[in-house]
Amino acid sequence: MGERDLVHLQRFVSDAVRGVTLIGSDPALAAQAETLISPGRCGMAPHERLEVYREQFWLRHLASIDEDFPTLTWVLGGRDAFRELATGYLRACPPRTWDLQRLGADLPSYVASDVRWSDDFLARDAARLDWAFMEAFDAPDSPAFDPRVLASTPEDAWPAARIDLHASLRLLSLGHPVHELRDAVREGTAVERPGAAPTHLVIHRDAACFLRAVAVESLAFELLETLRGGVPLGEACEAVARSSQRDPMEIGERLGGWFQQWTAGGFIREVRIAP
Amino acid sequence: MGFRERHAIRDLGVGVGFRRPHVVQVLRDRPPMDWFEVISENYFAEGGIQRRNLEELRAAYRVVPHGVSLSIGGAEPLDADYLSRLRALVRSLDAPWCSDHLCWTGFGSFDVHDLLPLPFTQATLDHVVERVKRVQGELGVPFALENASSYMEYRESTMPEEAFLAELSERADCGLLLDVNNVYVSAHNHGFDARAYIDAIPADRVVQMHVAGHADKGAYLLDTHGDHVTAEVWDLYRRALRRCGPTSTLVEWDESIPAWEVLSAEAAQARAVRDEVLATPREEQPWASAT
Repeated sequence: MGERDLVHLQRFVSDAVRGVTLIGSDPALAAQAETLISPGRCGMAPHERLEVYREQFWLRHLASIDEDFPTLTWVLGGRDAFRELATGYLRACPPRTWDLQRLGADLPSYVASDVRWSDDFLARDAARLDWAFMEAFDAPDSPAFDPRVLASTPEDAWPAARIDLHASLRLLSLGHPVHELRDAVREGTAVERPGAAPTHLVIHRDAACFLRAVAVESLAFELLETLRGGVPLGEACEAVARSSQRDPMEIGERLGGWFQQWTAGGFIREVRIAP
Repeated sequence: MGFRERHAIRDLGVGVGFRRPHVVQVLRDRPPMDWFEVISENYFAEGGIQRRNLEELRAAYRVVPHGVSLSIGGAEPLDADYLSRLRALVRSLDAPWCSDHLCWTGFGSFDVHDLLPLPFTQATLDHVVERVKRVQGELGVPFALENASSYMEYRESTMPEEAFLAELSERADCGLLLDVNNVYVSAHNHGFDARAYIDAIPADRVVQMHVAGHADKGAYLLDTHGDHVTAEVWDLYRRALRRCGPTSTLVEWDESIPAWEVLSAEAAQARAVRDEVLATPREEQPWASAT
């Protein structure tokens, strides 16, 4: 068996084990298995031996992704409904990395685009929230921000300052307060489907490595998004004032309170003062 | 000089895997345990909770990384990013060695996250030897390959797995991780003699052993790591110890993970078996004459 044969064999097995239906139910697949795989003892046919791997593929991946989307699972009505969705998802977006943690990376866009779920906006929000938690879980660490920097920075240096946010921070603008739902689901308390309500969330990992979802007001959310793009603080405040049709003075007045929340919450990694 | 001596491979005693249900208890109480094995890929991230837990674990115990996704037998080039992350992990742990499985795990852009068997041919051997040399060179520590459990064999295979592993380890100059439960499972599934397999493995290259439980699925045995080690596997372990001498041993339990006390008792059982075998006078041990 040469290198080309190894390629041929691995392509066949890799495709076969990702299939949704029993290998034995596809005569062409079973016949190909027959040419490559020896029959087993106790009468196992080649396709039955390959079937062991196919079955494990689905058990392993469904079990893995099950744990990653607790809120979405609840919204869909439980594990069976989630598994139906996850099976379709894994067929459409099979695993492409060694990293099982990334298995659900495309699930939020799958939920948003598949006709069976795309009209369920609560499910779409839940998928985005659950995935944001997954991303924050193992995002790179950031050094702890020293809040004394805030007091020691001259006032005239602030407009040009750039605010770097913690690497784990994710910003989600949603139509439902799904963070409260997620808390309730994880605590096992009885909940009802939440009604629609504009919700702006910061998902992040705090200094003690706990994952948190913090609701912030829409103006603060918009400013965080702008700052994350590398825009200096002064320009960012003006941009937010323009887009929200607010007086820039109002943004400036509220800035102190926001910075307190961001500092205490560990949202900020560094304040870079222009030289 | 043999592989273990050349690389100063120490016997770490009996360890267990570092698994989520025990993380809090282990890091808080630091219970007695000779060493821990961690799944390499779970700690490839640059930060986060897992990395922090690993640092705490390393501060208290010897930790050895064990991978499941290197795909040493894959038909496509090795993943440079994966290797670079593995090297960083090995260094951060000051690991005495690093291991993965004799298998392949995906093809094309797909990863099936399983330990798929290879055809045991001369061409496959040439292919894997070159890849093991590269991995070992990049890691800078001894690299050991584990015999995986398997549920199918290929018609093209021209040699038994143990002969493949023996020649591979010799030509690539790598170590072996002898998974005794996997030998038992594969022997049952394919109808070969597990004892003959153990006897054919080059003892001096065995840097580590695994023992674990499996499930009887009727037509085949499944390597679940979800139960106690069976009496038959303990017997094989005794045989492997008699051949290889004192060798770091890991009790694997990854499914239906029990309370720490149950896992710890299983490790104690492994320690008792080791003590019983290794207490036999040295002149009666085959490994004694080789050292």
